[in-house]
Amino acid sequence: MPRQSTAQGLLLAAIGLFFGLNALRYPVGTLARFGPGLFPLVVSAALLVLAVAMLVRSRFITSPPLHFNIRNIAIIMAALAGFVVVTTFVDMAAGIVVLVFTATLAGTAYHWRRNALVAAGLIVIALAFEQLLGLRLGVV
Amino acid sequence: MEMLNNLAFGFHHALSLDNLLYCAIGCVVGTIIGLLPGLGPLATISLLLPLTYAIPTSGALIMLAGIYYGAQYGDSVSAITMRMPHAGSIVACIDGHAMTLQGRTGLALFTAGVSSFIGGTVAIIVLAALAPSLGQVAILFGPADYCALMLLGFVCVSVVTTGSVLNGVAMCLLGVLLGQIGTDLDTGVQRFTFGLPSLMEGVSVVSVALGCFGIAELTKNLDAGEQRTPFGGTIRLMPSWPEFKRIIPSALRGSIVGSLLGILPGGGPVIAQFAAYGLDKKVSRYRHEIGKGAIEGVAGQAAADEAAARTSFIPLMAIGIPENPVMALMMAAFMIKGVQPGPNMIGDHPDLFWGLVASMWIGNCFLLLLNVPLVRIWLSIFKVSYGVLFPAILFFCCIGTFSINNNLDDVVTTAAFGLLGYVLMRVRFDPAPLMLGFILGPMLEEYFRRAMVLSHGDLLTFVQQPISATLVGFTCLLVIGQTAFAARNAFKADPKDGGNEDEIAGHSGRGPGAAVTADHAGAGIP
Repeated sequence: MPRQSTAQGLLLAAIGLFFGLNALRYPVGTLARFGPGLFPLVVSAALLVLAVAMLVRSRFITSPPLHFNIRNIAIIMAALAGFVVVTTFVDMAAGIVVLVFTATLAGTAYHWRRNALVAAGLIVIALAFEQLLGLRLGVV
Repeated sequence: MEMLNNLAFGFHHALSLDNLLYCAIGCVVGTIIGLLPGLGPLATISLLLPLTYAIPTSGALIMLAGIYYGAQYGDSVSAITMRMPHAGSIVACIDGHAMTLQGRTGLALFTAGVSSFIGGTVAIIVLAALAPSLGQVAILFGPADYCALMLLGFVCVSVVTTGSVLNGVAMCLLGVLLGQIGTDLDTGVQRFTFGLPSLMEGVSVVSVALGCFGIAELTKNLDAGEQRTPFGGTIRLMPSWPEFKRIIPSALRGSIVGSLLGILPGGGPVIAQFAAYGLDKKVSRYRHEIGKGAIEGVAGQAAADEAAARTSFIPLMAIGIPENPVMALMMAAFMIKGVQPGPNMIGDHPDLFWGLVASMWIGNCFLLLLNVPLVRIWLSIFKVSYGVLFPAILFFCCIGTFSINNNLDDVVTTAAFGLLGYVLMRVRFDPAPLMLGFILGPMLEEYFRRAMVLSHGDLLTFVQQPISATLVGFTCLLVIGQTAFAARNAFKADPKDGGNEDEIAGHSGRGPGAAVTADHAGAGIP
C-alpha cells in the first residue's frame, strides 16, 4: 500500500489530469474573450501544480500507510444501487426493503427481524412524507 | 435607534406562530441529528434540507438557521458527555469531558447552554449593527475584488479547517472543478456531462453535501466499528451561585472574540473556539484550572462558538460571499428558496433579513429553554443501535436527493459523491473546503471572466486595484507564512509524529489558538 501523502498527490494528479484533458475538448479562447474550456483548464492546471507539490512534500515527511477498507463502502454503494434499480422497476417500498437489507450487511451483526422492523418503519415515514409534506415519492 | 426599529420589525415578523414553530422544530431536530456520531453541521443541514422544501421562504430560512444552531449545540453535547467531537467541537472535548469525568456533566452542559446564549446575544447586536453598513462597502467591490476575496476565503478556510494550505486549497479547487459540471451559462456548451442528461443542469449541492458528508461519514463510522458507550451518568443541571458567577466573564470574553473572528474570511466557529480558549488560558482568574475541567474552559469556547456561528452570516448577507463551508451550504439553501444573499438582500427582503436576525435570538432562547433541560431525552438516541440508525440515515440521504427533482438519477450522483468523499477521507483529505469551492466555483468563474473582459485580458488588474491588491497581498502573506511554518515543523517533527504534522502546524498558526495546541495534542483528540 502506498503512503497517505503519496496517495494524496496521486489522487489529485489523476483528477486534475482528467478534468484538464477534458477541458481541452472545449474551445479555450483568450483571456479577454473566454471560451468554455479556459476556466476549467486554469483550475485543473492549478490542481496539478498542487498535486506535484504534494508528491514532492511526501518525499520529505513520513506519513502513515494508507488504510483502506473496501468492504463497507462497496456494500453501501451496492445498497444505493439496489435502491435505485428496484425503485425504478418496482416501487419505493421495495427499494427501501432492498436498501435496508443490503446496507446492514456492513454492520457488525445481522438481524433479520430488526431489519424487517427498520424497513417497515422507514416505509411508514416515507408514506408520511408523501401525505404530510407533499413529497411525490411513489412509495407504493 | 434605526437598529432598534429594524430589530422590532424583525421580531414582529419572526414572532408569528408559524415561524416560532419552525424555529423550535429546527432547533430540536438539529440538536438530535447533530448528536449522532459523525454528523456535523454540514451533514445535518444537508440531511434536513428537504424538510424545508414545502415551507414558505421565511419560515424555511428561520428553520435552517435553527437547525444550524441546534446541530452546533448537539455537537458540543456529544463532545462533553462522550468526547465524540465533530469538526465543530474539538475544544469542548477538553474541559467539557474533563468535567464529565468529575461527575459535573450537568454543570458543563448548563455552562455551554448559557454561554451559547450570551455569545449569541452579543453576536446578534454586532450583526444588526454591522450588516447593513457592510452592505454599503460591498457596492465598492468590482469583479476583480470579488475574485481576490474568494481566493482569500479559500486560503483562510484551508488554514482553519484542515490546517494545511496545500490540502485545503486543493480541496477548494476540486470543488470548483466539480462546480463546472453542467451547461456553461455563457456559451451554452455542456462541460463534463459525458452525454448524461442528469448532469446537464449541473450537480445539485444536496448531492455533493449528502454524498461527501452524509454517506462518506456514515461509511467511515462503519469502518470504525460500533464502539460507542452511551452516556449513563447523572445530570444535575442547576449550578450554585459561585459557579454561575464564573460563567459570565468568560462567556463575555468568548462572545467578543467569537463575534470578531466570525466576520473574517475563513473565520467561523472552529477558529473562534480555539482563540477564546487560548485567551481564557492567558487572562482568566482560574487559568491554572483550565484543561482540567474548569467552567471557563467550557464557557469561553461555547460563547465564541455561538457568536462566530452568527456573525459568519454577516459576509454572506452583506457581500454575498460565504466565508466558510457551512455558510456556503446556507447560501445554496437560500438560493433553492429563491433568495440571493448579498447587498440587495437587506433592501429587497427586509422582512427575511431582519426576521432571520430576530429568529436567531429566538432560536437562542429555544436552545436554552428546550434543549438544555431536555438534554437527557436527546441523549437517549445513543441507546438506539447504530444498526438501526445507519440504514435510516442512508434512507434520508436517498429521500433528500430524490425529492429535489423526483429523479432517481440524482441518487446515483449522490452515491458517486459518497464514494468520492469516502476516498478523500481515507487519504486524509478533509472534504469540507470542497463544499466552499463547489458553491463559489461558478461565481468565481463569472467574476474572473468579467474582470478579464474589463481589463482586456490583463491579469495585472488584480494587483492594480487597491481592494483586490490588498486582498491578494493578504493571501500571499498567509500562503508564504503557512508554508514556511509547515516546512519548519516538517523538518523538526519527530518521525513518529509525521502523520500529525499538518494538523499541529495548522492549529499553532492561529495566534491565540497556539496556546491550546499542547493541550489539544496531549488530550489525544483525533
